[in-house]
Amino acid sequence: MNASSTRSSHDGGLGLHALRRRFGAHVALRDVAATLPAGAITAVFGPNGAGKSTLLKLLAGSLQPTDGSISWKGATLDTRSAEWRARIGVLSHDTHLYAPLSARECLSFHARMHGLRSPDLDAALDRVDLLDRAEDRVAGFSRGMRQRLALARTLLHDPDVVLLDEPFTGLDAHAAQLLEEVLRTLRDGQRTVVLVTHALSEGLALADHVLMLVRGAVVLDTPSERLEADTFAERYHALVDAAEIARATTTGAPS
Amino acid sequence: MSAQDHDRVADDRAGPGWAAVVMAVAAKDLRIEFRTRARTLTMAGFVVMVGLLFFFSVDRALVRPQDIASGLTWITLILAGLIGVGRTFEIEKADGAMTGLLLTPAPRDAIYLGKVLANFILVYAIVLLTTAVFGLFFQLDYSNHPGALLLLLAAGTLGFVALATLFGALTAETTLGESLLPILLFPLLVPMVIYGAAASSRLLLGRPLSEVEGQVRMLAAFALLAVSVGAVLFGQIVEE
Repeated sequence: MNASSTRSSHDGGLGLHALRRRFGAHVALRDVAATLPAGAITAVFGPNGAGKSTLLKLLAGSLQPTDGSISWKGATLDTRSAEWRARIGVLSHDTHLYAPLSARECLSFHARMHGLRSPDLDAALDRVDLLDRAEDRVAGFSRGMRQRLALARTLLHDPDVVLLDEPFTGLDAHAAQLLEEVLRTLRDGQRTVVLVTHALSEGLALADHVLMLVRGAVVLDTPSERLEADTFAERYHALVDAAEIARATTTGAPS
Repeated sequence: MSAQDHDRVADDRAGPGWAAVVMAVAAKDLRIEFRTRARTLTMAGFVVMVGLLFFFSVDRALVRPQDIASGLTWITLILAGLIGVGRTFEIEKADGAMTGLLLTPAPRDAIYLGKVLANFILVYAIVLLTTAVFGLFFQLDYSNHPGALLLLLAAGTLGFVALATLFGALTAETTLGESLLPILLFPLLVPMVIYGAAASSRLLLGRPLSEVEGQVRMLAAFALLAVSVGAVLFGQIVEE
């Protein structure tokens, strides 16, 4: 595959087409339609239960939509295909690491699952400031160190699409700063990043585009440059309240 | 990472080779087991305990050891194997490692076969320990057909491990977990135990190989069928 031909930005991105996902009677996503621009960082905001993590799992192929579809640069996507999984990197609450293995062994195993012939593990570990702990077992790592190693694993195979679910959760200040620095390096116009987060200021500072969900529906879909950083928290809460009131009016349910 | 680095890594992506994934998953599982020894020690302890119990409880003036050794070996194989294989997905559940594994493009059947290979090595080592312990306690004579007996036990171990790994993946996601595994597994193991115990009993009694040929073939066919079905179904079981 010609890398340069597939990495040009602004030619579509991730298209969400009337995406719906049910868990029994509960509807986690309601006909979500949006385009997450290619080569840009999209921050997905929303309160608990908004469907943010479900959306990320649909993009990663861990879940399948009940209805609707996802496209990548105009073509309908099979998120379960090996081709798509080779293109994505996922960082979630769980670090997906093996505690009895060393940091280097974890990365080496991941590289083999992706068929990387000569992965530069030293560079990957250095990027997250863990080179000096390369031979130490993950079991002895703090939460912040594990999250940094998970980030190195996420980026090791140089994914075109990076999916991040609450990456700042449980991190100390040093780890959060390092994570933010690494995420800034992803703003190279070549990678499409979807960042699900509760951290409004950090998310907005990193994002090129903002998508906001409340109770599974899109309430805001806009470039971040149109948003005022100082007043965004206020607007966020106003949108959540308005969506809750609208739902209570429509369904008669208490907000 | 620069654009040149980008392209270099992209070119480096060959896609995971099927055999490479099998070997990498097996090596990872064995390395983890070698470090934690969580499963091996429990299985080995169980085997020694069974050997000791029967050593003190069987009156050898009334019961010939070679008459009960075969059944005892297969029961021990299954119960010790359950202890070991039942926990094969515990390490995968911790910190969502299995989810991470499934987010890679690695072929699902290769992941399954890697886990089967690691489990086979572990359980077969325990089977060898079982034959050694029982041989020691009951003065069993393995000299008649040692190769055939080892081959028979290998086929039985493979069939057991193939099914136990498949159902282990299924039950790992349920709240009943390990307690559900034997309920699902035991009925399917009946043919294997019948053919295996009957054949190994004859081998221990020094009967000619021609007498057990058919049973060995059936056992080998069962093992191959179990591996094939497992490889096909594993992907369906672990994906949503």
